Amino acid sequence: MTNKAIHPFETMIIVISRLIHNGEVAATGTLSPIPAAALFLAQRQHAPDLVPMVYGDPDMRITDGLMEFFGLVQRGMVDLFFLSAIQIDQKGNFNLSVIGDHARPKLRLPGGAGSNMMAMMAKRTIFFTVTHTPKLFVPEVDFINGTAQDTSIPWRRGVVSHLATPLCLLRYDPAKGAIVLDSTYPGISLQMVAENTGFDLDIESRDIPEIAPILQEELDFLRGEVKERLQRIYPLFCSMLW
Amino acid sequence: MRDPFSGRKYVVVPPIVPDVAVIHAFKGDMFGNIITDSFRNDRLLAMAARKTIAVVEELVEPDAVLPGKHGVFVSRVHINAVVVAPGGAHPTACRDTYDIDTAHIMTYMEATKDEKSFLNYLEAYITGPKDHTQYLKLVKSEVNND
Repeated sequence: MTNKAIHPFETMIIVISRLIHNGEVAATGTLSPIPAAALFLAQRQHAPDLVPMVYGDPDMRITDGLMEFFGLVQRGMVDLFFLSAIQIDQKGNFNLSVIGDHARPKLRLPGGAGSNMMAMMAKRTIFFTVTHTPKLFVPEVDFINGTAQDTSIPWRRGVVSHLATPLCLLRYDPAKGAIVLDSTYPGISLQMVAENTGFDLDIESRDIPEIAPILQEELDFLRGEVKERLQRIYPLFCSMLW
Repeated sequence: MRDPFSGRKYVVVPPIVPDVAVIHAFKGDMFGNIITDSFRNDRLLAMAARKTIAVVEELVEPDAVLPGKHGVFVSRVHINAVVVAPGGAHPTACRDTYDIDTAHIMTYMEATKDEKSFLNYLEAYITGPKDHTQYLKLVKSEVNND
């Protein structure tokens, strides 16, 4: 079988797809080709009863756009949502608004949009990031758009479960209230992960496994059927990756 | 604020009531009944605004104002004016009719980098062309030259 090198984004897609459970209602927002591909792959592999709500998917039908979708999430009908951020800190706080002081920022971004509500009301949230650097994983975010969990809010439904990056899979440990390393990818050392993260991932005190090997079947579906489906929604991403 | 039914405390915000909403729809009739893209919040906008202008790709007979796979019906009671403008969503897309004009969006993004280049953009594409037809002719000729 011909096998070109596995791109880190392909590893991320496969790793995320394995976190998706059969029967879940799982949704993606804008600019989210990696989780969209993960949903399609999971549906093809082990989650045939998954309900993927991929923003922009011509196969999805809805009546009232984001109003209907946000309403669905607020009612607790969405099991899984995906977010990214410009900064994420050890506590699992995330920033989508500004770099620097909020009043005089070095960089101003479009902002949080519905991310705070989604992280609170979807049953769980998985983060995906297209880089893994100390600028992204910082000791403390410059602005908090949302948190990983907050027990002081009684109606909060969801927690952050995992964070997939191009270097590794992180997870949020609710007992510790901190992000820790879950598993590494083939060819990526613990040292490399630690050097590129601006806070301690609790690597020293325990054994960190490598992800289960990527199966030929997963790659074949990803580069075949999943790619075909994704191309209709994210043509630029697909031409960049494949 | 305390919810009078459950007794729980909630943060509340007042509704936004736009003076005017402008939406781009697939088709409409002369009375203002329209079919628009169901992925957007056009119906909500039309119901929230004091006045709503619907720009439509196509003017059709009242019996033909029927939603397809990705359309949603918005009643004339929410619409104050219909403007027939095929290609009216350019440089963004109109589902199933035309795609986003990526090259033009890039031109626009470049132009927004400073005041002077943005004024040049306005002159070339917005204030320059005498009407929408001429604007479309201009942007189409650029696509053909690529």
